[in-house]
Amino acid sequence: MHATSGLHAVLKRTAVLLCGVLLVATALAADERFAIRNAFAEPVGGIWNLNVIIETGLSKPALEALAEGIPLTLLLDVQISGERRFLPDSTIAELQQRWELAFDALSERYVVTNLNSGAQTTYASLGEALEALSRIRNLPLIDGDLLEAGRRYDIGLRATVDIGGLPGAVKLLIFWRDWSRSTDWYTWSIRP
Amino acid sequence: MTRRWVPLAIGAGVVTWVVALALLAVTTRDSQEFGRLQPWILVINAAGVIVLLALLAGRLGELLRERREQVPGSRLRMRSVGMLSILVLVPLLVVFTFSVLFLTRGIDSWFHAEVRQGLSDALGLSRAALDLRMREYLARTVKIAHDLEGRHAGTLFAELDDARRGSEADELAVVSAGGRLEAYSAAALLQGMPPAPPDEILLQVRRGQPYVSLDPAASGGYIIRAAVGMGQESSLQSRRILVAVYPVPQRLADLAAAVQGAYQQYGRLSYLREPLKISFVLTLSLVLLMALLGAVYGAFFFSDRLVQPVQDLIEATRAVAKGDFDTQVPRASTDEVGYLVTSFNDMTRRLARARAEAEASRTEVENERTSLAVILARLSTGVVSLESDLTIRIANHAAGDILGADLSDSAGQPLEKVAQEHELVAQFLAILLPHVEAGQTEWREQVSLRAASGRREIMCACTALPVEGNESGGLVLVFDDITQLLHAQREAAWGEVARRLAHEIKNPLTPIQLSAERVRRRLMGSLDERDAEVLERATHTIVQQVEAMKQMVNAFSDYARAPAVELTSVDVNKLAREAIDLYHAQDARVHFELELEPEGAVIEADRGRVRQVLNNLLTNSLEALEGRPEPAVTVCTRRVPAAGGCFVELVVRDNGPGFHQDLAGQMFDPYVTSKPKGTGLGLAIVRKIVEEHGGRIQADNQAAGGAQVRVWLPVDEASRGATVPRETRKQEPRREHA
Repeated sequence: MHATSGLHAVLKRTAVLLCGVLLVATALAADERFAIRNAFAEPVGGIWNLNVIIETGLSKPALEALAEGIPLTLLLDVQISGERRFLPDSTIAELQQRWELAFDALSERYVVTNLNSGAQTTYASLGEALEALSRIRNLPLIDGDLLEAGRRYDIGLRATVDIGGLPGAVKLLIFWRDWSRSTDWYTWSIRP
Repeated sequence: MTRRWVPLAIGAGVVTWVVALALLAVTTRDSQEFGRLQPWILVINAAGVIVLLALLAGRLGELLRERREQVPGSRLRMRSVGMLSILVLVPLLVVFTFSVLFLTRGIDSWFHAEVRQGLSDALGLSRAALDLRMREYLARTVKIAHDLEGRHAGTLFAELDDARRGSEADELAVVSAGGRLEAYSAAALLQGMPPAPPDEILLQVRRGQPYVSLDPAASGGYIIRAAVGMGQESSLQSRRILVAVYPVPQRLADLAAAVQGAYQQYGRLSYLREPLKISFVLTLSLVLLMALLGAVYGAFFFSDRLVQPVQDLIEATRAVAKGDFDTQVPRASTDEVGYLVTSFNDMTRRLARARAEAEASRTEVENERTSLAVILARLSTGVVSLESDLTIRIANHAAGDILGADLSDSAGQPLEKVAQEHELVAQFLAILLPHVEAGQTEWREQVSLRAASGRREIMCACTALPVEGNESGGLVLVFDDITQLLHAQREAAWGEVARRLAHEIKNPLTPIQLSAERVRRRLMGSLDERDAEVLERATHTIVQQVEAMKQMVNAFSDYARAPAVELTSVDVNKLAREAIDLYHAQDARVHFELELEPEGAVIEADRGRVRQVLNNLLTNSLEALEGRPEPAVTVCTRRVPAAGGCFVELVVRDNGPGFHQDLAGQMFDPYVTSKPKGTGLGLAIVRKIVEEHGGRIQADNQAAGGAQVRVWLPVDEASRGATVPRETRKQEPRREHA
């Protein structure tokens, strides 16, 4: 009886341990996931606005760099190409949005700066800062007048997080370090 | 690229590399600058390394090829390159090792724990200073919120503005619990809508906790943001919130920013410590690699300078060994090698001079030898030089003519061997050997050689050559064919005899004959029959013998007489036909055959004398053929080219008994005959006429039997001095029969 209860206890503990490891691994994997979860464009007042949700999981080197005061740069590359018959698709517009995420040691706050506009927001925690970066709403994409009605347009999105402020030569020489991560191109089509 | 651009390119490369090194030295003090310039430094060094590797590969390949082809000096070049490379490699590796060590330790020394702790403490101190200020501003904000409690919206803005002026705040804002802005006052001119307070402020105040924080400002520096609820705690969710923004005092802000900057820079460097170390080590390795390759290339360069003179000397030595004494080695330096080069050049110059002098001497000797050979060739005297073992050293043309052998190619052959093939040489050797065996080296002797064409009288003199070194001197034999001379002397004597005979005997013969006839006529009538018969017989005998003596004296007179030769153009073929016709008419029993030169045999000669030659020869042949069965006479003519001229050969041969062996060599002497009725002057006169025309005559017996007389007569005046060839060309003649 005691033996059976002991075995149960060991099995129970092992199962708990395995579940814990699995959870931690999943959590770690989830933390490190960097991908575009969802994106869509909608016309608002004649302007096509972009809405994106990014999973902003950072790699360990990126987190270490951020903790040491090295800013991270988030790049969002957008490409709009129009479909053409018998010819390769033509690129209608290309734009890049850049944000910088830095940790201010004195105030112990995370600072998010839109490098395109210069707007700056501070957050008390990294989670709040990443949450703010992960949701991009109503980013003006293209004037609707530039798009032909009924024609299909492909929109491609790619996000890149880069450990900024490092010499290019250092990145070149220490190429095996994970200095930069990019998502796959996230594409969808619109037909005005 | 031409060779003269190579040093320029190398110099430019070295300068660029030095500049890159200087930049590296400068930028190592500043990581930002290092990061900016490092790509260029890397590119310059990498390009230099690639160029040097290519150059070294080319030089190494060239060196290995030279080594494989055993090029002189390649071994020395390989050794010197290897030694110089090792000499450079070892200290460079030592320096590299210690440099890497110092570099990594130096970078590590930047990041002592004390430094980080000091910076953390400074940061904490700054925070403590700012915390005091934050608490003070929070208290001030609480007081303003208390003062503004219960104020109506109509007076709130004015009182808020007054409160902001009294509190040194940059901004004061009253927002509703839902975040709606109710009143706002700012020191700076507001552009656009005032910003909404962050959600975290609203959340915290709604929980009943005052909010104060230090925020980095977008324009740089820091601000202190404080927020408190207005009103009773019982209505947390509905009461208004006062948000205030205070500036951090400039002095404090600068100090705090400096501490923050230093901390951040330290953190950045700490994070980049390993990459920086790797980057520095890689850059240093690249620089070292370039220095190493440059040093190895320099080893090639200095090896070239060191080995090239030696290589030049080796090649020049080989050239001198092959006989090229004009080789001069360029002098590239003034050191010992340069001295060696100068000495070598002096040596080759002296060798060239000595060779030129030797060549001049050799040429002089050669010229003298050639002159001697020409003289010997032109000499009518035979000269034969013999080794001490009687091997022919040299023999001139005249020697061959006299000895009846072609000795032009006999140099190096034993005289004994030549004698086996030539009868006259064998006789000559038989005369020579007793003197040699007796050890006589200086002698002079007149000897007779029996040739098929007759006896040859040779005057031979022998002299010993001087001994040179270990070589024995040998002998020189000089001999002349004096047959003609003796013959001329004999002929002159016979001519004198004939002339005297003609003079002394011919004159009394006519009176004797007349006297005998007169005696016969006077006494014939007075004598009886018997005496008359005796007288008749005696006087007849006297007259007959006187007549015979007259004929003989006339013959002698003809032999002695030598009238001037009258040269005209004579066709020997025509004369031969006329003579054959004449003799054929006299004696039809004899078969005459003509073999005449088809191209004609015209010569410049005295027609009468040439006819006399033909007549005498034909008479001789016909007399020899008397009583012989099927007598036949053949007359041949043909043109015989010779050195310096041309001859017409006239041959008369018969099938008679031939010349008597005892008369060999004497057939042409006067009064020598084997015929009972001959005077012995026929062939003597023929020979005299032939020699008067500058020709030559030879008489011998045919192998098949019968006599043969050959006469060579020059075709013109120019050919009279030419020598009749011994072996004449055979040509098919035109045959005629009579």
